[in-house]
Order: sequence, then C-alpha cells, then structure tokens
Amino acid sequence: MSGLETVKIIVDAEKEASKMLNDAQVKALEIRKQVDPMIGAEREKRLSKARKEAESLVQRAEAEGKAEAARIKEDSMEKTKRDLQKAFSARLAAEKALFEIIMG
Amino acid sequence: MSETSKFTEDILAVAKEKARQIVEQAEQERQRILEDANSSISREENEIIRNAQTEAEGIKRREISEVRHQAKLLEQSEKDKILSSVLDGVKARLRESTSDQNAHFAYLTRLAVDGIRQLGMDNVNIHLTSEDLKRIDSTQFAHEISKLTSPIMLEIAKEPIEASGGLIVASKDDKIRIVNTFDQRFEALEPRMLIQAGRILFSEK
Repeated sequence: MSGLETVKIIVDAEKEASKMLNDAQVKALEIRKQVDPMIGAEREKRLSKARKEAESLVQRAEAEGKAEAARIKEDSMEKTKRDLQKAFSARLAAEKALFEIIMG
Repeated sequence: MSETSKFTEDILAVAKEKARQIVEQAEQERQRILEDANSSISREENEIIRNAQTEAEGIKRREISEVRHQAKLLEQSEKDKILSSVLDGVKARLRESTSDQNAHFAYLTRLAVDGIRQLGMDNVNIHLTSEDLKRIDSTQFAHEISKLTSPIMLEIAKEPIEASGGLIVASKDDKIRIVNTFDQRFEALEPRMLIQAGRILFSEK
C-alpha cells in the first residue's frame, strides 16, 4: 500500500468518525428538543384532570352541604314545632305565674 | 491486521464511544428534567386539590351555618310570639282582676300600705286611676289603709293618674313618689317575669 493510499484511508476514517459525532450531537439535540413539549403535554393532561377532580369535589361538597342543611332544617323544624307545642300548652300556667309576680 | 487498519479502527471506536456518551448524556439530562417536571406538576396537582378541598369545606360549612342561623331565627321569632301572647294575657288578667271589687280593693290597700312604708312619711297623697276613683269609696279606702299603718295624714288625690291599674303614693308636695301602678310594676318586674316565663314555657325538662 502506498503512502497516499494510507493517508486516504485515515482521512476517510476521520470523516466517518466526525460524522458519527455529528449524528450523535443531532440526536442529543433532538432528545433535548422533545423535553419541553413532552412536559407541556404531560402538565396540561395532569392539571386538567386535577382541575376536573377539584370541580367535582366542590360540586359534591355543595350537594352534600345542601343535603345536610336540608336534614338539619327538617330536624330543627321538627324540634321547634315540638318545643312550641309544649310552650303553647304551658301558656296559661305561665300567665298565671307572671300574674302572681305582678300581684306580689 | 495492518497498522493502518488498526489505527482507523481505533479512531472509529473512540468516535463511537464519544457519540454513545453524547446521546447517553442527553438522555440522562432528559430523564432528570422529566423527574423535576414530574415533581413540579405533582405539587401543582396537590395544590389544586387542596384548594378545592378548602373551598368545598367552606361551601359545606356555609350551607350548614346558614340553615342553622335561619332555623334559630325562626325558632326565636316563634318563641317571641308565644312570650308576647303570654305577656298580653297577663295584662288582660290584670285588667280583669279589677272587676272583682273586693279582691281589687284589698290589693290596692296592700299597694298603698307598701308605698307608704317605702315612702316613710306621715303625710301622704294617694293617686288612683279614674276607674278606681269612681268605684272606690275614698273614706273607706283611707280608713282601711290607716288600720294597717302607723297613724298618718292621708288624702286621696282628686286628679286621676294615667295607668291601667294600681296607684301612686306621694309626699304631700308630690316631689317624692312611690309608683305602684300596674304599668310600672310590669316594667320593673319584666326581667324576672321573662326568666320565669322562659322556665315554664321553654325549659327542656
């Protein structure tokens, strides 16, 4: 093999090595470029799911609150009704007792 | 293998290894960024859920608190109505009590005697309502009072007082007065009456 041929083989190898490195850099750049959109998409997907969950949580609480409020209202009306019936039947006894206080 | 071939193979092996490291480093970097992003997104998710939980608890609490407040107001308003009707009933009983002449006469005598004792004077005027001035014999009234007090000068005033019942015992110059009218007694005794009425009407027992 002549000296010229040897140099050519080495130059070709250098070129091939340079191309390998260049390809690797391109691939690395591609990998880095994919990160931001990937994160953006993942973030949007997960936060959108969390927002939906939050909305449903609030709606559920509203419904539960209304249901509990209705229960409390009903119980309270029932108790007030009982108390007032009792008070109404004790009305005359109260009148008599207060009249006696005034009369001394 | 020739020296040249070995040399070129070395060049290519080094380049291959370097290329592998470049790609591997990019992938590691990507992995680290993704992990950081994952933690950050998790924090955001948690915050959204935590805020919603706080809002939900607030909504629930407000709904319940509002209905409890309304129920309490309604209960209080109904209780006030009953209490007012009882107080009106007492006033009616007081008016009716004046129709039993003997009992009313005795009651007024007692009010007058109490007033005279409180005043602690030996010359007094007694003021009555126009109804009592009409139906009560002043001389007999003064006589009955005198029997229950130490000897004093007593006069029944001609001018009636504006009251639903009861009387006023006053010093001769009218400057010092013991007001024993129904209205005054009602006002003075109202706190005690309200407590008593509350016990009778709304006690839990």
